[in-house]
Amino acid sequence: MAFEPKIIAYLCTWCSYTGADTAGIARLKSPANIRDIRVPCSGRVSPEIIMRTFEQGADGVLVLGCHIGECHYNTGNHRAAKRLPVLQALLAYAGLEPERVRLDWVSASEGERYSRIANDFTDTVRTLGPIHWRVAERGAHFVWEQEPISHRYSAFSDEQPKHAVYHTAIYDEQTLILQAAARELLTNKLVDCVIGFEVGPRGRTRPAFIHQPENVERLVWNQDCTHNLSAYLSKKLGWGTDGGKKKQPDKLPKAAVVVKPCDSRSINVLLAENRFQRDQVYIIGMACDGIRQGAGFSNDKSGPIQTRCAACNVRTPVVYDTLIGDSEATYREIPPEHIYPGIDHLDALTPIERMNFWLSQFDRCIRCYACRQACPMCDCPICLYERDDSLWVGMGIDVDEKRAFHLGRAYHLAGRCVGCNECERACPMDLPLSLIHRKMAQEMETIFGYRAGMAVVPPPFVTILGGEENLP
Amino acid sequence: MSDKLASNPMLPYLGKLVEVRDIATEIKLFRVEMLNGGGEAFHDYKPGQFAFVSAFGVGEAPFGIANIPNNGDPTLDFAINRLGSVTTDLHELGVGDMVGVRGPMGNGFPMDKFKGKNLVVIGGGIGGAPLRPVIQTVMANRGDYGDFLILWAARNPSLLVFTDEYDQWRATPNTELYLTVDQADSTWKEGVGLITQLLEKVAPSPRNSITITCGPPIMIHFVNRVLVEKLNFKPEQNYVTLEARMHCGIGKCGRCNLGTKLVCVDGPVFTMAEVGALLESFL
Amino acid sequence: MNYLTHQELAAWLDHLAQEQTLIAPLNIAGNILYRPVKDTHEVVWDFTRSFMSVKDVFFPPTERLMLIEKLNGQVKLTETLPEGESIIFGVRPCDARGLLTLDALFIENEPVDPYYARRRENTTLIGLACPSVGASCFCTNVGGAPDDPTGMDIMLTASNGGYVAEIITEKGEKISKKFPVFDGLSEIRPHPTHARKRELRVPPKEAWPARFNDDFWAEMAERCLSCRICAYVCPSCRCFDVRDEALPGGNGQNQAERIRCWDSCNGIPYRKVAGGHNPRFMKNQRLRNRFFCKFYYFPLHYGPVSCTGCGRCIDACPVNVDITEVLIYMGRR
Repeated sequence: MAFEPKIIAYLCTWCSYTGADTAGIARLKSPANIRDIRVPCSGRVSPEIIMRTFEQGADGVLVLGCHIGECHYNTGNHRAAKRLPVLQALLAYAGLEPERVRLDWVSASEGERYSRIANDFTDTVRTLGPIHWRVAERGAHFVWEQEPISHRYSAFSDEQPKHAVYHTAIYDEQTLILQAAARELLTNKLVDCVIGFEVGPRGRTRPAFIHQPENVERLVWNQDCTHNLSAYLSKKLGWGTDGGKKKQPDKLPKAAVVVKPCDSRSINVLLAENRFQRDQVYIIGMACDGIRQGAGFSNDKSGPIQTRCAACNVRTPVVYDTLIGDSEATYREIPPEHIYPGIDHLDALTPIERMNFWLSQFDRCIRCYACRQACPMCDCPICLYERDDSLWVGMGIDVDEKRAFHLGRAYHLAGRCVGCNECERACPMDLPLSLIHRKMAQEMETIFGYRAGMAVVPPPFVTILGGEENLP
Repeated sequence: MSDKLASNPMLPYLGKLVEVRDIATEIKLFRVEMLNGGGEAFHDYKPGQFAFVSAFGVGEAPFGIANIPNNGDPTLDFAINRLGSVTTDLHELGVGDMVGVRGPMGNGFPMDKFKGKNLVVIGGGIGGAPLRPVIQTVMANRGDYGDFLILWAARNPSLLVFTDEYDQWRATPNTELYLTVDQADSTWKEGVGLITQLLEKVAPSPRNSITITCGPPIMIHFVNRVLVEKLNFKPEQNYVTLEARMHCGIGKCGRCNLGTKLVCVDGPVFTMAEVGALLESFL
Repeated sequence: MNYLTHQELAAWLDHLAQEQTLIAPLNIAGNILYRPVKDTHEVVWDFTRSFMSVKDVFFPPTERLMLIEKLNGQVKLTETLPEGESIIFGVRPCDARGLLTLDALFIENEPVDPYYARRRENTTLIGLACPSVGASCFCTNVGGAPDDPTGMDIMLTASNGGYVAEIITEKGEKISKKFPVFDGLSEIRPHPTHARKRELRVPPKEAWPARFNDDFWAEMAERCLSCRICAYVCPSCRCFDVRDEALPGGNGQNQAERIRCWDSCNGIPYRKVAGGHNPRFMKNQRLRNRFFCKFYYFPLHYGPVSCTGCGRCIDACPVNVDITEVLIYMGRR
């Protein structure tokens, strides 16, 4: 018997659902493969729903909404129009054929159009064959047997000498300037706390929280200051997972934070999302020449810089109250091929190879959520993927659940991730998470011309389509 | 099969729902008839003990058993508030549906120790459920206990549990029932106010008395404070039953640790003296 | 004592692998992990410490407790106890000690957990003494040693280019007879691994309560991210969560499994009660609980200290929360 795909169609109740009815009344042929789910708006069909649908065994997902400009809620379908292409890119990158998801527009009167799209999509999915998305076997292991895909600096190690960092006297000078700035802020009670870096007893650089002026000598600035300290901000200043309750508006807490250029971008994202107010945070910006690989875990005084730093052309913080360091001295041209190492390699593989690659990576994940906890953007009070009654992902620590979590998180970070790489650094199992997040950043730049955190503006997913933006 | 089932503490006994009825807003009373061996396990359990009830396909959660053993009749009552995924699924079940029951667990109330004493039972909302077997025990052995006071509270009248049993409770000799709600509605004729206010008004004497409280942590905290600071009760006289979102009930999963005590094996019944001696606040 | 050359050891293990599951340290994308192997030529012989402990084998991240089948209003439960015998090669002393800690909880503390107990019963541990002590190891401070054979069935110590083997238990005896390489005739004795001892003392459990309200915990926790790395890499952490999940394929409505999964006291919802109240809402309370559990609550309830000094949490923590700093602080008067 020929393969008959299972297709789930999410139909907007105001147009496409009626459009499907119109097709039926006109006795137009529609494939029996399609199971309709009526939704209030195509904008309601969040990517999590689509990913979950695939996980539950659908071979294809069709999302139909009103034509742009005709949305019952004015701009609901703009959201769908913006999200779906990014989701397709993400799924394609994870090894699912992007043709298995389609977004289109059908009005209530377009029965014939509905029938055409439904038949055409069913044919497409039938040609693709059955989906092999869900693994479902508990404890199944996957190992990548092919040539390793490097997301690390070693991919272009011949240039290492140029891209190495050493502990120089400049760091000591800047440390003194930093300490002086912190002392002044704390003495004058301009902030409650200075969040910076210190060197722990093992010689590892780590976050430090300085509350008293006499403790500022603990602060350092060195080649190992890799942590994105803005991750602590919304918890300290807003009503994040740490404070929980809404703070008194008349005495908002204030903190100073030491940021690298990449970290400063995440502050912009947080400000755009109203996590806290600009005057609650005093930003001590550091001009940055790159951070050493392995920073935070060992105490070497030199070594190659991190991949993300080799590809970074934002050398001065984009937002700051005080700038320490010479932004001119740290400027560097980046060869374009260095910006997305590893991604090209993955893009060149076949979908099934890509899927195997990712399964072999998620295989090692232990679902410790360190990636999420280290991320400045991941600050939902209860993570969608950790809810007790979650419908999005099971509790199991197996590849299906792990993939759902990581892809879902990657999607939630699209347009918000600034590439600080904390998730990848925090990962105890060495998952190349940057390969997903940089891919998403690349897609956001290609599709929307948007780079996260360069200014305090909302990311594309929460805004409506601009006149110049392309429709899918 | 029952031997094998009994050897694995994580396997529940099967039970059949023989009665399901609404007793308050979002609160249902489930009567479970135990099948294959479960009856024996639940032949003799103490008031205040709890059991895990499984909604198969969703999960299991611990609930205080809301009745006393009924002369070997293997039926258990559970009053369950619809709150999370397990309770929501349980609320969708009806008579004849199967559930799993694992237990009985925990220490229970030392009813023998209470003999000859005056009892004050203080229940808040769904916290009344594990207190019902205490009330039933006293009613069944009325001569064994002294004066009996029941203070029953809820946020509003529609959340009061076991309303149909109040007349029976009141009819028991030397028994008084006081009701209070935080927010009254037009039909409400009893007291209005917090349970602590009611407690101060009723002002039971600490002489030869024991109090038993169950309710949200914040209520337990303030009730104990009134008892100790205003009414001169000693913390040793105040029994409470605590809860936690535990997952095994046999002291393994770690979820219910109150620092030095585990709710599942050391509790759920504690005196406030024991609770006060814990390193970590239950609050 | 027995002396095995590397080839003899490999041949013996290969032979064992044909009859039962052999689990051994592998290098998977740069991480040393214990995984089932078909034969020994993928095995990593020389390593300091694996990324994850052998705990995973006995207390897997996800474990099915039972199969639930619903049919015509009836429910059928099928207990799914782990089947099959296995052998783990290359167990480090700290991990074996971790298993003894878990034994105290899962087996010695009634009622016995049948899943864990069955796996323990059906698994033979072949220990391998550490050639050296890692930078973050502190097993000697919690009562262990890099060549401590406690808890092993057979203990191997690299010596003179081969291995000195000591058969410790009957289980070890049984597998040693499967292939004729153990002659018991060797005069070679293993050299004790040189272990420098840190100035680090584990305070007795009585010392902990007095320090409960110290500011230290809040200061230390300020940088904690509330992730679960420390609990998941720990050879003696064991908190779990239980839930039912529908099984896919065909009649998902009628089949479900009850699973238990790792959990960590650092997770925010860990100590929530049914009404939504969370007594351990702040991260300093959660982190403090972790250390108090290791050195005070666990010994109080089950006996042993729940730390084996493997140092995994120190190396894996992204913000350098360091258990030895806690011990140093506790040692101060």
